[in-house]
Amino acid sequence: MSTANVTIFDDEFLKKLEYLNIISKRLFAGQLRADRRTRKRGTGLEFADYRAYVAGDDFRHLDWKAYLRLNRLILKLFEEEEDLPIYFFVDSSQSMSYGTPSKLDYARRVAAALCYIGLANLDRVNVISFADGVKNEMPPQRGKGRIFKIFRFLNDITPGGETSARASFKTYCTETRRRGLAVVISDMFDGNGFESALDILRHFRHDIFVIHIASHEEIDPLLRGELLLVDSENNATREITITPSLLTAYRAEFAKYCEAIESYCGRYQLGYVRTATDFPFDELVLKVFRQGRFLK
Amino acid sequence: MTFLALSPLQTALLALITTSIIVGLYLLKLRHRRVLISSSILWRRVLDERQMHSLWEKLRRIISIIVTATIALLIAMSLARPEIESLTGKNERVVIVLDTSPTMNAHTSDGTTRWQHAVERAKSLLDSGGPTTEFRVLDTAGATASAFTTDRNEARRLIDTMSPKSADPQFPRVDGRNAQVYFVSDGVAIHNTPSFVRRVSVFESANNVGITAFEIRSIPSTPLGYEAYLEVQNFGQPTETAITLSGAGGQRILKTVRLGTEETYKDVFDLSQFSGGGIRATVQAKDDALPLDDVAFAYLPLKRKTRTLLVTKGNHYLETVLKLDTYVELAVIDPANYRESPNIDAYIFDRFAPAVPPSRPALIFGTPNASWLKPPAGEIQKPEITTWSEDHPIMQFVSVHDVAIERAARIDAQNLTVVAASKQTPLIVVSEKPKWVMLTFDLESSDFAFHVGFPVFIENVLGWFNRDQLALKRSPGLVDVPLARAQIRTIDGKTVSSEQQLGKTVFVANEPGLFDGTQGDTRIHVAVNLANPAFSDLNRSVFKTDRGAASQHYWLRRELWFYMLIAAALLMGAEWFTYHRRITL
Repeated sequence: MSTANVTIFDDEFLKKLEYLNIISKRLFAGQLRADRRTRKRGTGLEFADYRAYVAGDDFRHLDWKAYLRLNRLILKLFEEEEDLPIYFFVDSSQSMSYGTPSKLDYARRVAAALCYIGLANLDRVNVISFADGVKNEMPPQRGKGRIFKIFRFLNDITPGGETSARASFKTYCTETRRRGLAVVISDMFDGNGFESALDILRHFRHDIFVIHIASHEEIDPLLRGELLLVDSENNATREITITPSLLTAYRAEFAKYCEAIESYCGRYQLGYVRTATDFPFDELVLKVFRQGRFLK
Repeated sequence: MTFLALSPLQTALLALITTSIIVGLYLLKLRHRRVLISSSILWRRVLDERQMHSLWEKLRRIISIIVTATIALLIAMSLARPEIESLTGKNERVVIVLDTSPTMNAHTSDGTTRWQHAVERAKSLLDSGGPTTEFRVLDTAGATASAFTTDRNEARRLIDTMSPKSADPQFPRVDGRNAQVYFVSDGVAIHNTPSFVRRVSVFESANNVGITAFEIRSIPSTPLGYEAYLEVQNFGQPTETAITLSGAGGQRILKTVRLGTEETYKDVFDLSQFSGGGIRATVQAKDDALPLDDVAFAYLPLKRKTRTLLVTKGNHYLETVLKLDTYVELAVIDPANYRESPNIDAYIFDRFAPAVPPSRPALIFGTPNASWLKPPAGEIQKPEITTWSEDHPIMQFVSVHDVAIERAARIDAQNLTVVAASKQTPLIVVSEKPKWVMLTFDLESSDFAFHVGFPVFIENVLGWFNRDQLALKRSPGLVDVPLARAQIRTIDGKTVSSEQQLGKTVFVANEPGLFDGTQGDTRIHVAVNLANPAFSDLNRSVFKTDRGAASQHYWLRRELWFYMLIAAALLMGAEWFTYHRRITL
C-alpha cells in the first residue's frame, strides 16, 4: 500500500460493499439529509412526537384531528433523516509498519472499505491519521465519488512516531465538537494505555468501534536464541534469550492484553473486533463485521 | 588436596587464568542478534514480571557462566593431576618383589602351590592403593624388572608371565626410600632382605624328601670305573622313601629306606653294570611337597681309553706323561715311519707335522712346516705368557703364568683360537675344524713339562679331542654351556631354544634334566639338578608371619583428573541441553 496505487479493491469487492449498511447504535443528528434517523425533528417521513404549536411553526405539520378533539393546536413532529459523521482514526505510528503485510496496510484496507460503505450510505466520512498526535486529517467526504480521494489520502499515510492516542483524540475532539461514530483502527500498542484514549472519545460521547489489528508475528512470534529486541517506535532495546517458557509467557501476556481491551470495550458497550493481518480481508469485512453487528 | 603435575602456585595461577579467560570470553561473546519488533510493551511486561517474581530468573543469567567456568576449571585442574588422599590415596610407589626360587613350587594343603598363593597376594597388592599409586614388579631371578606404572593390568599381565625357576635367587636391588617394597615369598630361599621390605608370606609347612646331592665320579682304584654318590634328606615327618637309579640301558637299582625327621641318607652306588649314558635318580615319599628335588640326573661317560700315537724323535717328558696317563693307550713312532692309522684316536706331533692333516685330532709341539699349519714368521726370544683363557676346556685347571719359554715362533693366528699368548705372538692356538692344538714352542725350549699343570693340560687336550666327559653340573634356571654356538637338546633328543651370550650358549631349564650341547665334534653334557638342601628344606622359612603387608582400598579407582574430565563432560552435556532448551542463558 505504500505505492501510489489508488485502486485498493477490485470492482467486485466494491459492489459487495455497496450492499452493506453501517449500523449505529445511536442516532446522531446530521447537518444534511441522509438515510439515518436522528433525534432532530424535521421534515422526515416517520412520525416522531407532538408538541404545542408556537408562532412561526409550519402550518403543514399541525395535527388537525387533534385540534378537533382537544381544541388545541398541536404540531406533529417527524424524525429528520440526516447523514452520520464517521470518524476513522487510523493509527499510523511506527509500530503499524510491522508485520507482513504490515498492520498499516491492513488498516488502510479496513478504513478504505468502511469509508466506501459510509460514502455509499451518504454518511459524512472523516479520516484521521494519528500517532503521537494528529498527523493528518481529511475533510469530511460524502458520496461514493469521493472514495478515490479517500483512497489517495490513505495511501499517503506514512508510518512514524510513537503512539499517543489520548493526546491525538483529545486534540481532534476539542476541535471537532460534532459527535459521531468513531472507528479506531490500531494495534493498540500505546505506552500510556488505550483506555484513557478511549475515555476521551467516550467523554465527547462518540459511538466507538475499535478494530484491533495484530500481526501474526505479534500473536505467535517466531523468535529464537539470543536477541536484542528493538522497539520500532522508540528504538528502546532489550537483550533477551528466547526460551519456550518465555514465548509461552509472551503469548499469555498478549492474550491478557487483548482481553483487557476487549473487557474495557465490553464494559462501556464499545464495539470491538480483533483481527490478524493474515486473516482474509474480505471475510473480515463481510462476516466479522456482520457478526460484530457493525454492518448489516 | 595436592597436585602431582604442578605446584600449588602454578595451579592457582592456572585456575586464575582459566577463570579470567572464560569470564572474558563470556563478556566478549557474540552480540545478540538485533530484531525489530513493533512494540516492546508486552515483552517488557513479560520480562519484568519474570525477573521480579522468580529467583531462578535472577540466578540463571549467571548459571551459564558459572557452569562454563566450572567446566574450564575442571579441565584445567585435571592437568595439575590433583589428588585427595581420603578419596584416591596419596601418590606412592609400590615395589612388589616375587620370590621365584624353586621352593615356591612347593604344594600347599589346598592343592595349589606357594607360587599360586604368591600370585594372588601380589595381585591383591595391585588392587590396593590409590589410582595414582605406581607399581613395579620384580622377581628374585633377575628376569623380570618392570618400570613403575599405574597400569595395573600391565602389572597383572607381567605377573602372569612369571614363574619360579631360578636356583640362584637374589633379592633385587631396590630403593626403599621412595617406595614401599613388598616381598612376596615363602621365606625359604632368601633370608636376608633390607629392613624396609614388608614381607608378604605364603609360607605353609610341608613334608619333603629331596635329593640333596647326586654325582657320578671315578673310582680311584679302577681307572675306567664310575660310581654314583647320592644324598637324600628328609625335611618332614619320618617316612619310607623309595630310591631308584635307572640307566639308559635299562639298568636299575632300587632301594627303600626309612628316614626320620632331618635325617640324611648317603650312599654310593656301583655303576659297573651300567652302560654309558644318562643316569636318573628318583626318590618317592608320602606327602612330598616339592617334586623338583625328587629327581636328579647325571651322565656316565663311555668307558674307553684314548688310543694315542706320539710321533717324535724322542721326547722323554711327553712319553712319561702319556705312559702314566691311565686313560691313554700310547704308541710311539719316529716321524720317518709315520703313517695314518684308522685305529688311532689322537695324534701328538713333536716338532713334526705330516704333509696332509690327519683325519683325527692332533696336538702339535713347535711349529713344523706344513701346508695345513700356520707357517712361522720369525722367532721370539723369551716370550712371557701374558694372557690365557681359563674358560677353554684345554686350559681348565692349568696354570701357565710362570712357564718360562726360551724361544717361540711368531705366527699369524687368523682363524685360530688363541688360548695363551705373549705380547708378541700366540703361544697356544686351537683350530676347531680340523681339530688340532699347536704350541708355538717346543718342550725342549721351555719348562712347561716340569709344571704340575702339564699332565692336566695333556689330559685336557686328549679329553677335548674325543673323550667322553662327565656332565657339567648346573642348577635350574638359566643354564650356560661353555660353547659359543652349541645346539642344546634334551636327553630325549628334543631341541631346546638357546641364545649365545658372551661366547657361551645359554638356555632355560626350569626343571631338573640332562641336556646335550653339541657344537661340531664337541659334545658337552649338562646335568641340571636342584640338589640343594637349602631349597629342599621347605620349612626353613623366616617368613612365618606377614609383616606390614596390610593394604588399604580407596573409593576411587582412578586418578582424580579422570573423574574431573567426566564431570566436565557431563556438565557440558547438561549445559548444552539446558541452553538449547533455554533453561539456562
